[in-house]
Amino acid sequence: MTTYTICIFTENTIGLLNRITIIFTRRRINIESLTVSETERKGISRFTIVIKHESREEVEKLVRQIRKIVEVLAVFGYLNDEIVYNEIALFKISTSLGTKSLDVETINKQYKAWVVYWGLDYVVIEKTGNDTEIFEVFAYLKQYEILEFVRSGRVAVGKTEKGLVEYLPEAEWESYM
Amino acid sequence: MEAIANVMPEVIETKPAPTYINGSHALMKALLAEGVETIFGYPGGAIMPVYDALYDYQDQLNHILVRHEQGAGHAAEGYARVTGRAGVCLVTSGPGATNLVTAIADALIDSTPLVCIVGQVAKKLLGTDAFQEADVMGVTMPITKWNYQITDANEVPEIISKAFYIAQSGRPGPVLIDITKSAQLELMTKDFVYEKCQTLISYRPRLVPKQEQVEAAAQLINAAKRPYILVGHGVQIAKAEDELKAFAEKTGIPIATTLLGQSTIPTNHPLYVGWLGMHGNYGPNVMTDHADVIIAIGMRFDDRVTGDASKYIKQAKVVHIEIDPAEIDKIIRADVPVVGDAKAALNALLPLVKPNDHTVWRNEFRKYDAVENETITVPELTNTNGKIRMAEVIDMLSTKTKGESILVTDVGQHQMMASRYYQFRRPNSLVTSGGMGTMGFALPAAFGAQVGAPDRQVVAIIGDGCFQMTLQELGTIVQNKQPVKAIILNNNFLGMVRQWQQLFHERRYSFVELQNPDFITIAKGFGMAGQTCTERDNLSDALDTMLNHDGPFLLEVIVEKEENVFPMVPAGASVAQIRLK
Repeated sequence: MTTYTICIFTENTIGLLNRITIIFTRRRINIESLTVSETERKGISRFTIVIKHESREEVEKLVRQIRKIVEVLAVFGYLNDEIVYNEIALFKISTSLGTKSLDVETINKQYKAWVVYWGLDYVVIEKTGNDTEIFEVFAYLKQYEILEFVRSGRVAVGKTEKGLVEYLPEAEWESYM
Repeated sequence: MEAIANVMPEVIETKPAPTYINGSHALMKALLAEGVETIFGYPGGAIMPVYDALYDYQDQLNHILVRHEQGAGHAAEGYARVTGRAGVCLVTSGPGATNLVTAIADALIDSTPLVCIVGQVAKKLLGTDAFQEADVMGVTMPITKWNYQITDANEVPEIISKAFYIAQSGRPGPVLIDITKSAQLELMTKDFVYEKCQTLISYRPRLVPKQEQVEAAAQLINAAKRPYILVGHGVQIAKAEDELKAFAEKTGIPIATTLLGQSTIPTNHPLYVGWLGMHGNYGPNVMTDHADVIIAIGMRFDDRVTGDASKYIKQAKVVHIEIDPAEIDKIIRADVPVVGDAKAALNALLPLVKPNDHTVWRNEFRKYDAVENETITVPELTNTNGKIRMAEVIDMLSTKTKGESILVTDVGQHQMMASRYYQFRRPNSLVTSGGMGTMGFALPAAFGAQVGAPDRQVVAIIGDGCFQMTLQELGTIVQNKQPVKAIILNNNFLGMVRQWQQLFHERRYSFVELQNPDFITIAKGFGMAGQTCTERDNLSDALDTMLNHDGPFLLEVIVEKEENVFPMVPAGASVAQIRLK
């Protein structure tokens, strides 16, 4: 199984999320994570969808089917080494009396994670990184009482102009930026 | 008082209050601006303001009241297929819209342009499970090319123009516009201005293919020893029949068609070798495995054409001419994709291809034709024992109509027989439900085709099972005085299912026998003339009576009960494993 990151640029319209995810559902492809936000251009959204798949050919077909949606401007499919990508994880750790005291220095220096909120009897630690790095922090923090753990979807930008599969509109892409 | 009078100007300039129109009237104006002449529809609560507006436009917009919303959808499909313009449906919310769903799905898979306008509950009731509220946007999202919910009357002109543009351009397809009752009723807050949509930022179908693709294709075609053209529905959609003929005649390459590609080229054209697929002709199927270059034009390698795709045309290089890039490499990998409209692509190819003598290669098809003729065609057409065979009916109809009719077929054995034995002479003459295989399609679609092509003879070929799915549209045909001729090939069976049960399920005929009503009495009840033909000797007269009848006519022909359609590529087999019996 190879991890693919699919970046979809769309017009920002109601129901489009549904239209896009149906394409994955019909082909029985599970979405590992999905992030949507508006781009630097007003009215244009960027979906970042992570999937795992055995066949690159199937991913290429998927990209073409997504491009077919009327409101979709462009679709790029990337392998991990072609993108700069990150996720954010938040750990809520109990600091109530009697619990093991937190080794903030190790958390900062070794794991590059930061305490971003001090509650009365808990702290919130933020870690930005790829999933491996995040789960390393998780493994380390397990010695403390983890009250809550949440991880965002992947955000990614391509290292090169084009991905392994790309579908652009007929006109020059630059004119839309 | 005097002072005030002195400052008043002598003439007071007044501006008339703006008279903005409501969403329903805007919709009417938008449809007229798109050149719509005919609407197939059925009124109901949530579309009533639109129907109220329609009352004022009766002399410009011909509304046809169907008997069921599914009928509206299929009629609009029939209309769209023969005219090349979008068929327009108008129905109410909830059940009105969900009844349309089958036709929408059918139109998507067969690339038929539809604009479906569907009423919706008022904006403030959205999501409250209000009376006749259904999430039509959600339901139709996977089966439309585009859909949109109008919640503001001001959106009407822009959205309707987008709808027609999307439905009719590129690879055509159905578009659904869900319009809330509040948007139908409320006044626009600006003047109605209509601009025809010409382009969209995110949707730009490529019409003219890239020159390098065309050149690569020409190179492959010119070097081919055994080239073979496979033609799909896309050629007729692009109105590229003449270009196809010119291309084939210049290069001498044999042409086979898919089911929906039939009638693209006259059946008697010397380069036409037959049709492909599960029940297609013997030679065209087998020979796909002998070709060295396949030129697939406007077709999508449906599984009914390829059989087992993993064993299909492994030996051949493939040139795939197709307007929808998502079809390239979807089923069969293309060595040279040519993304563009079939007409533009063939025009670009024509000067680059060279004349070639492919007589020897073409004659190889004829050997298989002889086998098929001897084993299947001749016995089916010259049978003198037992009940009438479906093939005889179609063959005789073909002779009597000189292959000039528009044939509209339903789905099943009769559909395959109609395709096998009708000798098409004119383009755009077969309207059938190919991809979806929708039973009940033919009667309403034949009606729609007749409305779209009033000068042509439309004959529907329908099975007894199919007929009972939408027979209420007889009422629509009679009320609108359309001279549709319908032939029921009655074998008291769901024939194709029975055939499969016979061949692959040890004759375990599970729920396929029908106790049928008296179809002719039903037709007469609707006010339509009709007759039943049971004897071979009466068939010719019965067909003459039907064809000469002034007005719609239903002819029921009692046919052989257990008859099979051959050749046949069993599901999942390769095309080379095509069976003759």
